Amino acid sequence: MRAAALLLAVLAWPAHATWEWSAPLTVNSAQGAAIFPHIESANRQGIAVSGDTVGVVWEDNRSGSPQCYLALKPATAAQFQPEIQLSQKECYEPVVLALGGGRFVAAWEEAGVIQVQLLPGGTPLHLSKAAAAQVTLGGRGNAMYAAWAEQAGRFKRIVVANLALRGDTLSVKSVQPVEAAQPIDEQGWPALAVAGDGTLTVAWEDRRYRHTVPMVSHSSDGRSFAAPARLTDHRSGSVDGLGAGTGAMRPTLAPWGERGVVAVWLDKRDFLSGYDVFAAFDPGTRRFGKNIRVQDNFGDNMAQWHAGVVSDASGRLVVLWDDARDGTPDVWLSEWNGEAFGDDFTVPSAHGPGAHSDPVAALDAGGALHVVWLDRDEVAGTRVRYARAVRK
Amino acid sequence: MKLIQTLLAASLLWAGTALADPPKGYPFVDFDAGLKAAKASGKPIFLYFGRYGCAWCDHTNKKTFSDAGLKKLYSDNYALVYVDAESGKRLTLPSGERITEAELGVRLQAFATPLFVYLTPQGEKIFQAPGFKTVKDFQDYDSYVRGGHYKQKTLLEFLGSKS
Repeated sequence: MRAAALLLAVLAWPAHATWEWSAPLTVNSAQGAAIFPHIESANRQGIAVSGDTVGVVWEDNRSGSPQCYLALKPATAAQFQPEIQLSQKECYEPVVLALGGGRFVAAWEEAGVIQVQLLPGGTPLHLSKAAAAQVTLGGRGNAMYAAWAEQAGRFKRIVVANLALRGDTLSVKSVQPVEAAQPIDEQGWPALAVAGDGTLTVAWEDRRYRHTVPMVSHSSDGRSFAAPARLTDHRSGSVDGLGAGTGAMRPTLAPWGERGVVAVWLDKRDFLSGYDVFAAFDPGTRRFGKNIRVQDNFGDNMAQWHAGVVSDASGRLVVLWDDARDGTPDVWLSEWNGEAFGDDFTVPSAHGPGAHSDPVAALDAGGALHVVWLDRDEVAGTRVRYARAVRK
Repeated sequence: MKLIQTLLAASLLWAGTALADPPKGYPFVDFDAGLKAAKASGKPIFLYFGRYGCAWCDHTNKKTFSDAGLKKLYSDNYALVYVDAESGKRLTLPSGERITEAELGVRLQAFATPLFVYLTPQGEKIFQAPGFKTVKDFQDYDSYVRGGHYKQKTLLEFLGSKS
């Protein structure tokens, strides 16, 4: 009896008890009622940790037009350094990738083309050939890739570039669409993950089935890609001759464990309660398995937004999103315990009165979790906020 | 060869017209164009927040928006805006903030499509109604909005006073 009670107590112990959070910091130096920061991006890559330095990218309109910014925070610094402007023309959806040793690569859409740049230093390199958007980055060791949605006839399709870094110079080894054929409907919002064996996985939103379906493909070299497969196990099809299927959008990927990849996306298969957060695992077979709902039952009747995933070679895996189950938008997380997703928990400083949304995150080499989100205040302006968590 | 060209052209036409799901024959435009037109004309905005492939949007289009009287009522008296719930296309809110069409769903706390939103000519929300609606529903909503009743009553109070 006593053992059973102890077991129940252990099972009931909330997962967040294992994380200890730092006091939050404000990342953006310019705030105001008419300044609107955004950290939306393909694969939700707004933060990366390179060595001991945290890098955060976002877009805001402080200068009168949307521009992209990067702010850095060395581990020993109490605050983020003043941000640097990455773009010159209208800029959207920046992403950042850690290279190690305090170096980063950032990419963004600027005036309808894709730019990538080594930071600090470096000069922007133009990647796309036609109108393009929604760039993302992925890498491991010496392998580095960018993917984006580029106009090809009537629709955009997913294009992948294999990038090379020699010293302080970035260059392009190859640029290849995932599918050679012209797209028959819109594609967008790509995500990349390079698994432990070097295999590149690319996922994206695709409307070829007359509704939005996350698709996935794999490549060993970034030049030839496997035939696309559906990430979702929910079938397309009309109901009584109506529609084409429920929606699923904004796939995100992360390498997971030694050879695996995890995918997380927003899914409306339960179409009366908004989007739910769903996940699927590829254990290294290059096939994603059964779809798993991530959020717990307390979030089931609530729309989830801005879902993303971070994981690492040791198998740590955290999913983040925002929802308003407690009355206002808050940042929520769930951890994979090896068999299932645990109870949802919040970032303490991204929960409570006010609107806390749009989380992005990174796990560093030591296992610390770094989270960035938006604190919205219509009068004082929106703050880009940051907090770090370590295991207790 | 000519047959192949004809089939190709037909398939492209099909793909193009099915990109989003506004009802046929209505002069729906995107958010920015609709807000601009509403400000210029003084007409309220009727915003159809739909999803590509949405069965209930399809049902509403076929069952309700096919009504010729409703088409005339809404085409004549509203700036008609269609927003795609999953699109990355950008729009500018009256505040000046630029967000994606999908992000508008977050701001509207949309949990289902279709979602119908009525706004003043300046883009301020009057009310929103999710799910399938009948011709009568849309006629009542029109009376509530263009009759200015929303300034004194909630929609439920207005509908209750009519019955």
